[in-house]
Amino acid sequence: MPNTKRYLITGGIGFAVGTFFLWNYPNLALGSAIIGGLVIAALCLLYSAPLPDMVKGGLIAGLFGAVMTIVYGPDKPGVAIIAGMLSGLGAGLLAFQRKPQATPQAGAALGAGAGAIAGAWTALALFLTAFVIAPAAGVDASEFAEHLSETVILADAMGLASDILILLFVLVFCTITGALLGAAAGAARALPLRPNIPLLAVIALPVILIPLIDRAGNLLLLDALIPIYIFILLALGLNIVVGYAGLLDLGYAAFFAIGAYTTAMLSSPHLGINISFWLVIWVAAAVAAIAGLALGAPTLPLRGDYLAIVTLGFGEIVPILFRNLGGGPPTGTLTLRFFGLPIGIEQMDLTGGNKGINPISPPNLPLIGNFEPSNKIPWYYLLIIIMGLAIFFINRLRDSRQGRAWMAMREDELAADAMGINVVRTKLLAFSMGAMFSGFGGAFYGAFIGAIFPSSFDFSVSIILLCMVILGGLGNMAGVIVGGLLIQGADKMFIPKGAELFRDIADQRALTTGGSTVGVSALQDLTQQRLLLFGIVLVVMMLIRPEGLLPNERRKAELHSDDDPININSVAAEADADPSLAA
Amino acid sequence: MAPLLLARGITKRFGGLTAVSDVSFEIEKGSIVGLIGPNGAGKTTFFNMITGLYTPSDGDMIFDGQRINGTKPSEVTKLGIGRTFQNIRLFAHMTALENVLVGQHCRMHTGLLGTLFRTPSMRAEEKEARHKAFELLEYVGLGRNSADEMAKNLPYGDQRRLEVARALATNPKLLLLDEPTAGMNPKETDALTKLIYQVRDERDLTVLLIEHDMKVVMGISERVTVLDRGIKISEGLPREVQTDPKVVEAYLGTGHAAKGKGGGAPVFDKA
Repeated sequence: MPNTKRYLITGGIGFAVGTFFLWNYPNLALGSAIIGGLVIAALCLLYSAPLPDMVKGGLIAGLFGAVMTIVYGPDKPGVAIIAGMLSGLGAGLLAFQRKPQATPQAGAALGAGAGAIAGAWTALALFLTAFVIAPAAGVDASEFAEHLSETVILADAMGLASDILILLFVLVFCTITGALLGAAAGAARALPLRPNIPLLAVIALPVILIPLIDRAGNLLLLDALIPIYIFILLALGLNIVVGYAGLLDLGYAAFFAIGAYTTAMLSSPHLGINISFWLVIWVAAAVAAIAGLALGAPTLPLRGDYLAIVTLGFGEIVPILFRNLGGGPPTGTLTLRFFGLPIGIEQMDLTGGNKGINPISPPNLPLIGNFEPSNKIPWYYLLIIIMGLAIFFINRLRDSRQGRAWMAMREDELAADAMGINVVRTKLLAFSMGAMFSGFGGAFYGAFIGAIFPSSFDFSVSIILLCMVILGGLGNMAGVIVGGLLIQGADKMFIPKGAELFRDIADQRALTTGGSTVGVSALQDLTQQRLLLFGIVLVVMMLIRPEGLLPNERRKAELHSDDDPININSVAAEADADPSLAA
Repeated sequence: MAPLLLARGITKRFGGLTAVSDVSFEIEKGSIVGLIGPNGAGKTTFFNMITGLYTPSDGDMIFDGQRINGTKPSEVTKLGIGRTFQNIRLFAHMTALENVLVGQHCRMHTGLLGTLFRTPSMRAEEKEARHKAFELLEYVGLGRNSADEMAKNLPYGDQRRLEVARALATNPKLLLLDEPTAGMNPKETDALTKLIYQVRDERDLTVLLIEHDMKVVMGISERVTVLDRGIKISEGLPREVQTDPKVVEAYLGTGHAAKGKGGGAPVFDKA
């Protein structure tokens, strides 16, 4: 039974790592997530998945769980549920990777089994830690129990009962998630659907459930998630321009601004126009798409660096334009001379200048009424729908005559032209399609934040979007989403929370040792260092993995093309092409 | 019968340099015509004027009864002129199948809305395009196995074949081959020569090829035109051209010795 042996070894290592963390930081959630991840690794072995899958699956799930719990762990309840769901999700995912399920029943059984094993293992690890290792390591048992009880909603009672409850929770949630995923995967298999549908179902499930967990656990996760999703939507649009069509756009935030300002102007008391959000979002997308054409047209003959510079300028001009189209004291009329005749134009405050436009009307639905800023759930689902549609349609664009034309143009513009592709049209379409999706994003952003300012659309936005696309994998939508989650997650969740954690540690040290906090304080405010961190991450990425985390196979080949046979052969061809003499 | 391609007094000047000077030339429908000349003779420049990359400074280029001076390359392709490149210019990081599908681009009609909503006509067109692409791959001798291979990973000879398949996918009336056998070994050259005949006979095509390899040109072409320093110096059956003293002088005399390798238009020399 070599598999069992490997399973036990991996599980043991996972257990050791998990307990190490629990030992040093008696913080249930963090440890459980790490253990959960490693358990998944062990599960892979159980299902005889190859080693790389095991490592990848385990590490990804474990790391994600760990980060989530660092962020929301220490003082928020409900983390055990998240940990359990993540473990179950990972277990389910990996269980199906190698074993396609023919029926929903079989899928559910396998998923439930995988989830239950993951849950049982996590629960066992927690149990041993709480009652054996923690006491042996000298951690105060009652303190530890307190930590435990804080992490689960219902576990108010101290002591053994609450601990067992926690363990049960983990087990139950692992099993439920695993079973749901299994059923989804099995059902999708049984139906005449394409094979990526089960994967989609697996990813969609937690995305759809997050608001419910969030509400149950009072995690306030949506406040950060919605802006993250908006940025991912924008990055998906940028990916059309940069990833598919190969046109480097450094001013993409301009289209975001155009979408947001269109919404703000057409749907707020500022100009006295108040059109329903459901109409305005389309107008905003259309205006952004037209702006895309307007940027595209003059840049048609430009390539590479030159194009980048022009788009950079465009990105700078647009926010300044919005800043200067309004604000300031009323200046009465502006007099222009037209063929010598004075024409008075009443100066209008179109955009509110630096103060921006505030408030912007929220969307409204019959049953829900106005979307309230305090209740993020309708916003979240609206955004999910917009993103789902965007992904769906971008996918269709990519796998079509149009998408192939974009890629051909990226590969070799001259050859594309010679193959009958109208390069002008193709470029313009890429610009306007890319801009259109950021128009949707901008409209949603304006309505969601309820107020917009020119400073929200400056150069750093374009750069961060580009970073998201590059980090994840140029030209690959899944990669762009992952890159977006990482960079925006770091920006909006992990770095601020990490800074808090640092501060706590520094304060603690200062208290216990009586020393100063000066040395630490320079480092502790991580939020100040976020651009530095992005910079470091990007430089490291470019050096070790320039194709991004989840590369598009094509780009990967392009960037590692030392052994490019075309180059070699074309050199050979030139060498051979010496004129032969007339025979 | 009117010729498929008629060039009348074609001249191309780059600043002070006259690359092609007053060349008149015609290609009968269904023929295989060779365009030869030492390096720097203006063959590729001439080629690029047919495909619309360059606009002739003077003269008329008439294809199928229509004047095509200054027509954009993509429009020329649409009119029915397909081409390959001297230094292979495949879409290196797209699969062989995708390369051929791109070739069909100008023969497909689905617009943006059709793509977004995947209308029945779009599906039908896409299906047909794939079918045709597979057919073409097989036709040029690339099996189905190569279809999902990235173009850059194909062996050299196969890349040349793929370029032919991609050009055929544009559904041309006239196929322009720019040194199709450059860099090939004799066996590959033979196979490609056969393919060219086959294409002409079975697909009702007219072929114009530029070639350095005299053996290939003389073996395959029904008529040969010789350019030297931008001027047409000889024209006729291969046999006649071969013995034309002007041609012999161009190749063996100053023409060969004076000029280095890498002739043709500057655009392609960068590759």
